[in-house]
Amino acid sequence: MTEVGQSSIRSDGVVKTTGRALFGTDVILPGMLHARLLRSPVPAGRIVALDLSKVAEFPGVRGVLTAADIPDRRSGLVLMDAPLFASQFVRFEGEPIAAVVAETRTIAKQALALAVLEIEEMPSVGNIEDAIAPNAPLVHPDWESFATPPGLEWPRAGNVVAETCSDPEGVDEAFAGAATIIEDRFETGRQYQAYMEPRMAVAEFDGQRFTIHVAHQFPYNVRDRVAAAIDVSPSDIRVVGHHIGGGFGAKLDTGLEPYAALLARQSGRPVRLANDRSEDLLTCQCRENAVIKIRTAVSQSGELLARDVDVLMDSGASATDIPFLTSIPMHVFGSLYRIGPVRIRTRAVYTNTAPTGAFRGVSGTHLYFALERHMDHIANKLNIDRLEYRRSHLQPDGSKLPTGQVLEDAGILSEAFDAVEQLAPWSELGQGPNRGVGIAACMWLTNPMPGSATLKLNSDGTLGVLTAATENGSGAIATGVRQIAAEEFGLPADKVVVTMPDTDAAAFDAGSQGSRTTHIVGRAVLEAAIEVRAQILDTAANILEAAVEDLELANEMVSVSGTPSKQVSLAEIAATAQATTGPISGTGSYTTPMPPINPTCASGLLFPAFPTPTYHVHVAEVEIDPTTGIVRVLRYLVAQEVGKAINPEAVRGQIQGGVAQGLGYALWETLQIDGGRYRQRTFEAYGLPLAADVPEVEIVLLEHPDPAGPYGAKGVAEPPIIPVAAAIGNAIEDALGKSVDTLPITAERVLELLAES
Amino acid sequence: MHTEFVLNTREIEIEAPSTETLLTTLRERLQLTGSKEACVEGECGACTVLVNGRPVDSCIYATAAVDGLAVTTVEGLGGLDGSLTPLQQSFVDHFAIQCGFCTPGLLLTLSALLDANPNPDRKEIENAISGNLCRCTGYTQIVEAVEAVSLEERS
Repeated sequence: MTEVGQSSIRSDGVVKTTGRALFGTDVILPGMLHARLLRSPVPAGRIVALDLSKVAEFPGVRGVLTAADIPDRRSGLVLMDAPLFASQFVRFEGEPIAAVVAETRTIAKQALALAVLEIEEMPSVGNIEDAIAPNAPLVHPDWESFATPPGLEWPRAGNVVAETCSDPEGVDEAFAGAATIIEDRFETGRQYQAYMEPRMAVAEFDGQRFTIHVAHQFPYNVRDRVAAAIDVSPSDIRVVGHHIGGGFGAKLDTGLEPYAALLARQSGRPVRLANDRSEDLLTCQCRENAVIKIRTAVSQSGELLARDVDVLMDSGASATDIPFLTSIPMHVFGSLYRIGPVRIRTRAVYTNTAPTGAFRGVSGTHLYFALERHMDHIANKLNIDRLEYRRSHLQPDGSKLPTGQVLEDAGILSEAFDAVEQLAPWSELGQGPNRGVGIAACMWLTNPMPGSATLKLNSDGTLGVLTAATENGSGAIATGVRQIAAEEFGLPADKVVVTMPDTDAAAFDAGSQGSRTTHIVGRAVLEAAIEVRAQILDTAANILEAAVEDLELANEMVSVSGTPSKQVSLAEIAATAQATTGPISGTGSYTTPMPPINPTCASGLLFPAFPTPTYHVHVAEVEIDPTTGIVRVLRYLVAQEVGKAINPEAVRGQIQGGVAQGLGYALWETLQIDGGRYRQRTFEAYGLPLAADVPEVEIVLLEHPDPAGPYGAKGVAEPPIIPVAAAIGNAIEDALGKSVDTLPITAERVLELLAES
Repeated sequence: MHTEFVLNTREIEIEAPSTETLLTTLRERLQLTGSKEACVEGECGACTVLVNGRPVDSCIYATAAVDGLAVTTVEGLGGLDGSLTPLQQSFVDHFAIQCGFCTPGLLLTLSALLDANPNPDRKEIENAISGNLCRCTGYTQIVEAVEAVSLEERS
């Protein structure tokens, strides 16, 4: 292979070093106005007065907008519970109440300062456990009226916005007969995606249709969500994607786009709406904070007889995609290790905080933290080495998850354990005062959602790939899909151009989420290539006066096998076809078939299976400064199953970057909620990892090609963040000899633990 | 306020309010959008430009303060013909770029470092970029890109 498996440079590398890459935030249109939102300063309250007359009269203001100006409707990803503007009540700090549009950003800001807004504060629901307490105030007293999409229903009641339960037979009996019962409670923080480019939108309205310029992971979702929010048809909206300054899941749902669209229609001019950093942080759909209780019944010999898990996730003031995430524990708590029946109850709850949502490795970070911290506790209680205990209970090929899904290749995990051992022997790590070592594993999916690609062979012999998939920085488009297309036609990668997304041009794509882009869109390219290759060979057969079966396509040429002098270039083939039979092009689509599950395994809204699973082991060695509480990560090892590394250096970048975000989650990053308000409100207060905080990750790639994936590729980008907090937590507990059951494990927290007797 | 400065070898003369930041002047007044706005509190370094060769956070730097001085932005690093500096090329070659939003600021900070110290060690590189946040890469490939340039200088 000439392209697949090579670390070819990114197609967007040069423009990103010269400042010429156009990000969403760089879009400037003729006559463009600037909008700003008036946001709630309190987490819960009743709007007593709202008067924008002084705002509207301010010189340079071109319009204002409130709930009174638009139809009263609610929308959402799965539950229709979110209004565009608060009208009577506000439900979280930062909730939009009104919008202003003006000639400049400064005018918009100055004008908004003249808004008269009076809010009578009400008791708020500030945290998860308060939300389910008896007599807790209801975040949405009208929750019963919220519509769900046709055919989707799930249990919800009061502040519980979604509940998923699985209660297989035999759990109580196993607990009754257990030699030991190990019990844990974990509490994990809310993590801000902290992409560098704040969320933004620029909208235009031409009298008939909207064009919305975005830097977004999922342009088709913007189209559909804006259409629902402002009550137009999805095809009345064209979404054009530009370079994305990071997303990590926070740019999958719609955000500012509906406001920009409404203001563009109202003003008749293009409108830009962009968050400043503080409003971005306050209103981002962060990774949900969670409380996880887990009990496991263990036999005399250490077998895991049964498990009982109770998970509470903080959905914030609306549901977003959290109802789906309540099924993720079903895929986690019975995975990795042989175990009897697992009872799982997961509830997502409303609180008076900003809605939470998708963040790389959705829910997996806190669920695997709980699972793998708990495994350490079991091993320690049994007085068995933590690694040895894991290894002796690994699930073999063909194991079943609580959902009924069969993991045909679960045995790969054992190879991952071997691989980290070869990098650095377990027995040699974590030795010495204040040092510790931790190990954690995970199994994760490759998101199966659909995508497509259209290929066209240009008359200069280059290949165009048209897709609505997005390059969020991961390299999935700039390297992966491009190299797959190049390989398929014997082209160098620099002769393949992949378009930026445009919903008017390319068919549906489900966005950069769940490590899906290289796998799904790469496979769609292969599907399209079948048709394109046939056209190429037919044309070449005519030119060369040879039979199609005798032709070979390689190195930008089609030649007759055995007679290499009889050959014709792809450029000539394309030009000939264009002039005779028509331009060469073809389209392919793909979505992963869902593995079979037992549909009665649970009640609730199920994300039914974990297709194209991958298996991973992480090892962390830490050193703790007992005076300052600072945790230093000395070594960090990753063994990751990738199917096939299309571009090894790009894969390495995903692992290094994912681990860095995981270290942030484990050690520093959190939005602490105090009375419904975040304590951290700026980058400075939030505490992202710096270069000196992150060690170079030592990596082994495992490659078990997926027969359905392009050249065997499976999802890569999400898993590296998932087991990090677990590995770090285990290492810190090993160093301190104290139970670590909350995230993040900040220096302050370490000092508290050291002070405990 | 009248301000004159040299921007990437071009003479600039503007009238701007005394409170206007250099980043606003660059991005909004001059529509030169390579310098990025990410935090506007001098925390993330995405807006870093060089003023007389010294890296500053242009989001909290008054335009009036560059009167008579030379400002270099990412657009002024390479040649007008699109040629890249060795550092820019090394970023491309070593996968030091993912989303690319922090890249302009990093390139300017690190260009200044290499000017002052052509052979920085890993620690010196990490310290130099302690005011530049990158959320994607976990920094290793950035550090390697800088090391590769300094190795080239040495050989």
